[in-house]
Amino acid sequence: MEGFYEKIAEILEVDTLNASDELADFPEWDSLSVLSVIAMIGANYGVNLTASDLRGAATAQAIRDLVARKSGR
Amino acid sequence: MNLTFSHRRISGLLAVVPANERSFVEDMANFNSPPARSLKLMKVMGYDKHRVVDGPVCASDLVCFGMEHLFASGALARDGCDALIVVTQSPDYIMPPTSSVIQGRLGLKQDMFCLDINQGCAGFLIGLFQAFSLLEQPALRKVALVNVDVMSRKTSPRDRNSYPLIGDAASIAIVERSQDGTAIHANLKMDGTRRDALMIPAGGLRLPCSPETAVMEDDGENNFRAKDNLRMDGSAVFNFVQVEVPPMIRDLLQAAQAGMEDVDYFLFHQPNRFMLHKLADQMNVPYEKMPSNIVELYGNSSGVTIPMAIVHNLRERLLTGSIQACLAGFGVGLTWSSMLMRLGPLDFCELIDYK
Repeated sequence: MEGFYEKIAEILEVDTLNASDELADFPEWDSLSVLSVIAMIGANYGVNLTASDLRGAATAQAIRDLVARKSGR
Repeated sequence: MNLTFSHRRISGLLAVVPANERSFVEDMANFNSPPARSLKLMKVMGYDKHRVVDGPVCASDLVCFGMEHLFASGALARDGCDALIVVTQSPDYIMPPTSSVIQGRLGLKQDMFCLDINQGCAGFLIGLFQAFSLLEQPALRKVALVNVDVMSRKTSPRDRNSYPLIGDAASIAIVERSQDGTAIHANLKMDGTRRDALMIPAGGLRLPCSPETAVMEDDGENNFRAKDNLRMDGSAVFNFVQVEVPPMIRDLLQAAQAGMEDVDYFLFHQPNRFMLHKLADQMNVPYEKMPSNIVELYGNSSGVTIPMAIVHNLRERLLTGSIQACLAGFGVGLTWSSMLMRLGPLDFCELIDYK
């Protein structure tokens, strides 16, 4: 999953993002960002996440793990 | 629950939209968010233009305009319908029913069954079930099924969560008996425990409109709306659609012993392009078999969007031929419903502007 964190950082409108950063700490982590992440993951990794899947993911690492699990990668 | 019908058809479809068009970029001036953020929303969701009434236009105004058009063009006789079903969440009055208002304004016959149904995004299907059932009575030959909403009047222009996607519109579907005995399969589920996901909190008897209910409140994400306004829990609705709709379609096709490949078009309610693309992805349906362009062109007009998707995208085809259509509506209630039916050829299939 090349460039995964960069793509999440772009959605959160920050330059850098650590895998363990708490998403809730970012001012841009709102419902629009949730939708943007769902759209980005669908388009780039062919994985369909629901909004409630993402609700359980506290960090970018957790989202990455979720995508990996769902795509079998 | 599973439902089946037979010997029923839609013989004509008319959609009416206000001529007044607004763009998302114009709406942005009212939002309390940075323009870059709003433009991102526009891009992700697929917003562009929407049609909303200009001034105090009511549901019956759009419908009477459409009915007069049908009378004038000869598509329908003034005494040609034996029932008028009006599905709306934005009635002219709490009482009398909007169907009675329309009957009176148009001078329709007294030998007539008028009925209002309070339903939204699944309202085209709920209305079809009622129309099909009424046609069990030999005294009824033609039913006019009307879906109409002027929800822009109940939506706060400062609510970026709802206002940019709302569209006002009406549709008139003529439903009658047919010779075709092929089964029409349908299903329906409702969950009133999730009724808060889409609601107008004030204006009924539980919470009458007052100066307090007109006060604008922040939803926590810079969307300002009053209790008098439409409120939508966007993520709850999105989640509901993703979780409930694909299994519903699978169950429908199973009950009908049909496969995905037997369906020519998936004509679904149009919440926005993003949600429809997500549904198509989940169900492995090519985007061209599931039209998703109504919100960006006209807005989401709740129960009217399925007729809108049909008249805008399939007019030529349905005037001469027919398709196997999978219809689905999902929304307020919560309510979700789908139907597999043969659609066309239609006697009329048209979209007109209300001026």
